[in-house]
Amino acid sequence: MTLDFRTEALLQKHLADARINVELETEGMVLNLGPQHPATHGTLRVVVKLDGERVVSADPVIGYMHRGYEKLTEYRTYPQITTLINRIDWLSSFANEVPFIHGAELLMGVEAPPRAEYIRTILTELSRIATFVLFLGEMALQVGAITPAFYGFRDREHVLNLIEAATGGRFHPNFNRIGGLKIDLPSGWIDECRRVMKKIFDSVDDFEDLVVGNEIFEVRTRGVGVIPAGVGAAYGVSGSNLRASGVDWDLRRDGPGYLVYKDLDWKVWTHADGDSFARYWVRMQETRESARMVIQMLDGLPAGPVMAKVPRIIKVPDGEVWVNTENPLGEMGYYVISKGATGPFRTKIRSASFSNVSILPWLLKGVYVPDIITILASLYFILGDIDR
Amino acid sequence: MGLVEKGKVPKPLTWLLNYSRKYSLWMFQWGLACCAIEMGAALASPRYDMMRLGVIPFPASPRQADLLVVSGTVTDKMAPAVKRLYDQMPDPKYVISMGSCANCGGPYWDSYSVTKGIDQVIPVDVYVPGCPPRPEALLEGVVLLQQRIQNEDMAERWRGEPIVVGG
Amino acid sequence: MTDAEIPPEGETPPEAEAEIDDIPIVEPDPEPEPEPMPEAAAQLLAQLEKELKDGIIEAGHTFGDLVVRVAPEAWRKAAEVARDKLECDYLSFVSGIDWMPAPKVGGDDTEGDTSTPAQPTETTYGVAGSDGRFQVFARVSSTSRHHGVTLKVDVDEDAPTVASWVPVYPGADWHERECWEMFGIGFVGHPGMRHLYLPAEFEGHPLRKDFPLLAREVKPWPGLVDVEPMPGEEVVQEVIPE
Repeated sequence: MTLDFRTEALLQKHLADARINVELETEGMVLNLGPQHPATHGTLRVVVKLDGERVVSADPVIGYMHRGYEKLTEYRTYPQITTLINRIDWLSSFANEVPFIHGAELLMGVEAPPRAEYIRTILTELSRIATFVLFLGEMALQVGAITPAFYGFRDREHVLNLIEAATGGRFHPNFNRIGGLKIDLPSGWIDECRRVMKKIFDSVDDFEDLVVGNEIFEVRTRGVGVIPAGVGAAYGVSGSNLRASGVDWDLRRDGPGYLVYKDLDWKVWTHADGDSFARYWVRMQETRESARMVIQMLDGLPAGPVMAKVPRIIKVPDGEVWVNTENPLGEMGYYVISKGATGPFRTKIRSASFSNVSILPWLLKGVYVPDIITILASLYFILGDIDR
Repeated sequence: MGLVEKGKVPKPLTWLLNYSRKYSLWMFQWGLACCAIEMGAALASPRYDMMRLGVIPFPASPRQADLLVVSGTVTDKMAPAVKRLYDQMPDPKYVISMGSCANCGGPYWDSYSVTKGIDQVIPVDVYVPGCPPRPEALLEGVVLLQQRIQNEDMAERWRGEPIVVGG
Repeated sequence: MTDAEIPPEGETPPEAEAEIDDIPIVEPDPEPEPEPMPEAAAQLLAQLEKELKDGIIEAGHTFGDLVVRVAPEAWRKAAEVARDKLECDYLSFVSGIDWMPAPKVGGDDTEGDTSTPAQPTETTYGVAGSDGRFQVFARVSSTSRHHGVTLKVDVDEDAPTVASWVPVYPGADWHERECWEMFGIGFVGHPGMRHLYLPAEFEGHPLRKDFPLLAREVKPWPGLVDVEPMPGEEVVQEVIPE
């Protein structure tokens, strides 16, 4: 068959290109989702090796926010440490103090009065609501919707107002003292809190309409980043991430019984799928559940003092204690070893995001590049929690 | 502009350049730690809107930004990245150090891995103290920076002389 | 102000002085009676003893939690037993302890850093004891049975290595990297030991007690500075006569 000269030239050109493709080595590309990136929630660096658009291997590099907490706690007294550990998980600061203070109280044999325990639980749940409302907005932002991010920040302001009215600080309240709390609630706080909880319910309904029912969001998150329950637990993934994989484990209900969760009527939400959509959905339901819990606690708030009698200089006797609680990000625990000084001898801080992120090398294999961002957003880590 | 470097710019033109520069700051947010949340609240929340000052956040790359707000703890591992990104910004560029960690190391002053202040690495124009500073404090920092830009002499800046504000 | 409110440090309103002095200071009992082990912990211990037999050196409990010290040879087997027999599928953490008391800031001759808590000067060990300076300890729990156990193992100071838990709990990978980086304890069988938090050029293992915090050595924290002198009161330099 003879072709005219134009077709012949075209054919020769294509054959030449095909030869070049065979001869060239097309290696995978190394993409550096660097420490400064709008989508990585902070200074997390993920070095991914790509084959086209698919990830072959992913290696998170952490440590860009490592501040040396465990060494610093050896040089500070217990009240000073309370100030410091606020800043581990900096979105829900109040919740970080609670396990440490509980540990010190257990070692000292001091019990906080019931009113203090109730207020602690209320503030912990408010921190949880503040964190999750921001999550609901931010994850939508990572997936591509910009409006929910503004809603998230706006609704978080309502809760931060409350926390500020009670403790004096928008976040990093440093409100816990060994033996109770610093000061009682201001007048009018309880009614304001009820109003804000109503707003939170409306706001979560907004998110549900806007984000969860959105087709684009569903397509981008369903089936993406599935964590099977056994693998998740072996890596130490905890909190809503594990509950979204179907594991019915919540330290508020199943733990040793700190704070007042056993007096409340509430439900643990799980989802069977284990993908990014499930993680979003579980956190959304937990926000509503936290708001319901806060309203119950406000109704049942006992009267009384907020601080037990403790000596001025806190000296914690010899001993070791392990306290873990359900923080918004997952299981947070402190293993405090005390030798009778005014400061601990060794504190091991078990932070949730560290284990949540350690599953990334396993989880990101074979995933498309945009899905990396979705998965990072759905795991919801805070860099201060990872690096401490 | 050659005119600017030689110092031959007439005063009304300097005023106009500084005025337009100060009200169109593009902010490259270096959100590191807790202060980043307050910075986000200052920018993205309708309560402390920073866009009314003309500060537009989230440019896509440092090459399009002229204001760098370092918010959060700077560790020794992160400091080279800060320096590199600062170098990538085109002149004239301004730096606000937000929070006590970026000012001087903050509560982690004795840590083995924290840089005691971002001014060890890059020059800083405005320090905003606080841990974390309220969004209003950051807004005041931006307003102070704008005053400083208004009183700036471009020729001195290009020559590298220190800027004295207020006489 | 309620009666039970404790005023902030440094200030005491006069009417509350008497109340604070009346508060009995909780003194720790020097020789406390060892409390009996709680039932749940005792059951876990029994199961562990059945599987590990000689591997268990000592066991104790703190506030309801079981703490077991195992022999170094039985460290990985203990992990397998915990995962399979005790149904502890969830790994909380793996980390290290350095029991040596920290040397005084600035050396033994100085007053030290008076703002930091005074550290003990003798070496004492915690629950379930220890053989030497270093220990590796880990916490595993069960998501289905809601129990957990803390396992400790002694590490030889001169050749600090311990078996790695990565084949049993894949999440131990990062925890062991952190432990090596902070204490210098090697893990046999770890897929790739490298720095986790610190830059690659970092020298030393920070969480060891003999690693000093240089900022405190150079300038110790002055402690509580109550009132600065007024500008005119401060004597800076003697007036030098002409």
